[in-house]
Amino acid sequence: MDILSVKDLKKHFGGVKAVDGCSITIETGTVMGLIGPNGAGKTTMFNLISGFERGVGEIVFKGIRTDNLSPFKIARCGMVRTFQIPRALTKMTVSENLMLAPNTQAGERIWDVWLRPKRVREQERQIREKSRDILEFFEISHLEDEYAGALSGGQKKLLEMARAMMIDPSMMLLDEPFAGVNPTLARKISRYICELRKDGMTFLVIEHDIPAITKISDRIVVMNEGKVMAEGEPEEIKRRRDVLEVYIGGEG
Amino acid sequence: MIEYVDTLLPYITTILLISSIYAIFSLGLNLEWGFTGLIDFGHVAFLAIGAYTTVMFNMSGFPLFLSVIAGIVLSGFFGLLLGIPTLRLREDYLAIVMIGFSEVLRFILLNEQWLTRGPFGIHGFDRPLQDVIPYQHYNTFLLILYLAILVIIYLSLERLVRSPWGRVLKSIREDEAVPSALGKNVFWYRLQSLMIGSAIAGLAGAMLAFYIMYIEPNTFKPIETFHAWIIIILGGTASNKGTIVGALVFCTFLSVTQFTNRFLPFTAHQMGAFRMIVIGLLLMLLMMYKPEGIFGKKEELALSD
Repeated sequence: MDILSVKDLKKHFGGVKAVDGCSITIETGTVMGLIGPNGAGKTTMFNLISGFERGVGEIVFKGIRTDNLSPFKIARCGMVRTFQIPRALTKMTVSENLMLAPNTQAGERIWDVWLRPKRVREQERQIREKSRDILEFFEISHLEDEYAGALSGGQKKLLEMARAMMIDPSMMLLDEPFAGVNPTLARKISRYICELRKDGMTFLVIEHDIPAITKISDRIVVMNEGKVMAEGEPEEIKRRRDVLEVYIGGEG
Repeated sequence: MIEYVDTLLPYITTILLISSIYAIFSLGLNLEWGFTGLIDFGHVAFLAIGAYTTVMFNMSGFPLFLSVIAGIVLSGFFGLLLGIPTLRLREDYLAIVMIGFSEVLRFILLNEQWLTRGPFGIHGFDRPLQDVIPYQHYNTFLLILYLAILVIIYLSLERLVRSPWGRVLKSIREDEAVPSALGKNVFWYRLQSLMIGSAIAGLAGAMLAFYIMYIEPNTFKPIETFHAWIIIILGGTASNKGTIVGALVFCTFLSVTQFTNRFLPFTAHQMGAFRMIVIGLLLMLLMMYKPEGIFGKKEELALSD
């Protein structure tokens, strides 16, 4: 079953056709890699799918038309994204970063803070426990009480994924999870993605690291100049001459 | 000695009264700016709405308590009204709209004389329990009342900003894309913050009216907004405790320096300007050596990166 289908999506910035008629579908519980040279429109595609930008075209997520919804509503449907440059809330602790995320908190409503303090406290306890489990999964438990601003670039990436996990998403959009991350940490992130996929999570991953992305993806989409130029299984994509040319510059 | 006590006590009472009003007024702004990152340059407008609404309701026969409630509610309502078109825009638009609104409002208060008596101002309205408390003890009573209100407002705000609700506000302050991506309705939270901050300013307006017993439009000049900003920056952005201490320090400074023109060759007018120069200088020094203010946390400094 397809969890996400995008049909003929377009986004133009003035004369620049950032995304120019893209269609992709992603099956539930799979990892799809999204590759392409700089300026191919990958991040714009992410912004459109997650609602941070409005384009023309049809986006259906879990049977719901989401192309006209604001980002927070799309997130509430179960789709969560990370950012190319990790956006840790640096002036909050790691623990606060995670505890912010769940959307089922009674304490997020002002009247419940007053009228149901017991329920709010109980939920806080549960959410803290959950955040500890997730931090443990990502092996950053020791950073729980640090301000997120004190974390390294790689740790911030893990924090962002951990925070995203807190809302129990059914699909995650990861924007360059391996960029600027050392090989050990990159392998770790790959392993996390594979583990979560086994639990039924769907991923759409932008990445420039071709060996890494081909290893974890079930399918790969190649974008170039706003269009989908190839789609298929990783082995297939690796053998395509035109893809190599776009990436390596005509000599490959 | 006795003489000193006789003049000193009322003097201290006065400073504490003014400080408590400023503290509450600034606590409202601290929720908006300190915790949510909203740049409200027209906070004084809600002080005015609170004061005028309370007084005018009372003058037309409503009981005092209900009049105050009306002042609070109307201030919050105007916060909502101004927030709806501006809070979706970038932060600076709110700042511009707010400062414009506060000045437009002042001119309306000045010119719509049929409603507000314009520049003549309004006096002769009730004060809380004025028939019960003897006149010579009235300020002491008012001080106790105001300190009680301050404690209630402080504890309520502390509870709110430490709740999950406050956590969302702080995340918005830092980077609204994050809470959006996680499913928080950023616009609605901003609106709530602005409404509550404005309602608190409205309460401060009513308190101000009861204390000075006379309100007129020029009580509500934009400078009052910036006094609140000074208080927050002085005390430590996003610290409610700091805001209260900031208000006390600021009001004491303003009040004590009134006597310094005995020692300095300034006219009263020049003295006012001189005081502002000194405050500016002190703020610059504060920013250089302790930018987080008296009680602020360095790690949470709203302006840094």
